[in-house]
Amino acid sequence: MLKIQGLECGYGRMKVLEGINFEVGAESVGLFGPNGAGKTTLISAVMGMIKPWKGSIELEGVRIGGAETFTIARMGVALVPQERELFPGMSVEDNLMLGAAYIPHAKDDIPNQLEKVFELFPILKERRTQYAGTMSGGQQRMLAIGRALMSKPRLLILDEPSLGLQPSIVAEVFEVLKSLKSSISILVTEQNVRESLKAIDRGYVLENGRIVLEDSAEGLKTNPHVVKSYLGL
Amino acid sequence: MGPSLRRHNLNIQAVKMAIKQRKAIIFAISIATAVVLILWKPTVLIYGLQAAGLYAAVAIPMGLVLGIVHIVNLSHGEFMMLASYATYTVCRALGVDPLIALIPAALVTALFGWVVFQLTIRRALKAPELNQLILTFGLAIAFSQIINLIFTSQTYKLSLEYSSMSLDIGDLSFGVWSFVFVAVAVIYAVGLQMFLTKTRTGKAALAVGQNPKGAAIVGIDVYRTYGLVFALAIGLVGAMGALFLTKSAIFPGVGSPFTMKSFSLVAMAGIGNIPGILGASVLLGLAENFLRSFRGTRDWAEIVYFVLIIAVILSRSLKGKKS
Ligand SMILES: Nc1ncnc2c1ncn2[C@@H]1O[C@H](COP(=O)(O)OP(=O)(O)OP(=O)(O)O)[C@@H](O)[C@H]1O
Ligand SMILES: [Mg+2]
Repeated sequence: MLKIQGLECGYGRMKVLEGINFEVGAESVGLFGPNGAGKTTLISAVMGMIKPWKGSIELEGVRIGGAETFTIARMGVALVPQERELFPGMSVEDNLMLGAAYIPHAKDDIPNQLEKVFELFPILKERRTQYAGTMSGGQQRMLAIGRALMSKPRLLILDEPSLGLQPSIVAEVFEVLKSLKSSISILVTEQNVRESLKAIDRGYVLENGRIVLEDSAEGLKTNPHVVKSYLGL
Repeated sequence: MGPSLRRHNLNIQAVKMAIKQRKAIIFAISIATAVVLILWKPTVLIYGLQAAGLYAAVAIPMGLVLGIVHIVNLSHGEFMMLASYATYTVCRALGVDPLIALIPAALVTALFGWVVFQLTIRRALKAPELNQLILTFGLAIAFSQIINLIFTSQTYKLSLEYSSMSLDIGDLSFGVWSFVFVAVAVIYAVGLQMFLTKTRTGKAALAVGQNPKGAAIVGIDVYRTYGLVFALAIGLVGAMGALFLTKSAIFPGVGSPFTMKSFSLVAMAGIGNIPGILGASVLLGLAENFLRSFRGTRDWAEIVYFVLIIAVILSRSLKGKKS
């Protein structure tokens, strides 16, 4: 699905990522690391929001390094950004509709997808005419996830999906992720490592712009470094 | 959740009440003003509304560009001036009426706007705002100087019978053709509102205006949308250029007051508020014609937009401080 080799990139002259080798197959993959490690930067590079300096990014064998964000989105990569990036002055329903309207393989199936998303997040159905900008932070997070799902993604990327969500909803989001796992590839970054380890197959640990560890979920759970730094035991 | 939700609802209700109250007050003042003007100075009301239509029809496309592409286009009125000259040339050469040229003029100026966007404005979108202002200001100067070189500073006018039609009611006599501007302004406002809230392309444009990053994430080509919205706005102004020619004389500098007035109307209405531009235009049209109706204040009419914009910005910042 997604294959990154020798990726180096950053902002202006500041290098953030170096020597990144990274892969997401038909599975769900976690990306962990402290604040400022470069998780969001890695995702931005995949989404074409920043250009790679070196190395290659491939999506199903097609090189996408340097492609425009909207092209990558149309190829089937959906992002739930850390900052949500909704359309605040538009209704919940319009936000969801726009999630699919410009994706070739999703735009003809909007009513169906809408029903599925409403089933997953009933609150969005209840608030379908409310402006996205007037929803609470957690509701906006759900809307951002719903908007991404509308596009029938092949690869779903979630940047800190549980940020600002109450624990019961976090559990629900991870339930959703688990239920999706069989049909789409998932890449998720999380501070909530314990919860996410239950939902993923494999994970990477990113520190100071380099990948320092890569293992299966089981392996990470018992890895002394992970246990000490991320599970806080 | 219960109590806080209820408090939230109460707040919304209070805000809604306040808005309703304000709307009622504005409505009452408008009616009172209209009644006073009908009895005291009916021509101020008539010509004020006609001027308002002209101002609004030119300003609405500028508001569209500011709301979605987020640039202040200081060559806005000059695009209209170019369209007027192009229409004049074609109408003279072919002997046709500018009304027939209306749609072709809109299409050609839209295309021209698209080219100008791709060649210049697109490249300045990521630059600091000051650079964008300098760029569009430069375009304005270039446009009027080119016209000055080709056509000289002489004025041109078509004499058309229908544009001097007048209506007599009692001992009141006034021109009616300029009401066409009111119709166009309303069509523009309603049409754009429908486009932006009801069509897929319009919603995408609105989304780009509200959050370009979010729009790219859902697969919308942001720069293409900017180009299309800019071209659409310039096309609407182009149609106004042809229409303007039916009524007024043209000269190289004819567009620049429209740029300034459009800008102040858009600023008065607030970004993204197309119906507000209609209201602000009525205020400006009436104020100008009111001043023009007294010998002592006649010369002040042309700068009243400046006073209005200062008043609105001051009152807005005072209100901002209070809340
Ligand atoms: N737009 C930007 N311009 C310049 N530097 C940036 C920008 N965005 C991020 N950085 C820097 O890049 C580094 C990595 O940031 P990034 O946002 O990728 O971290 P992160 O792992 O996502 O952190 P967090 O857990 O806090 O979200 C940080 O040092 C940050 O200051
Ligand atoms: Mg981050």
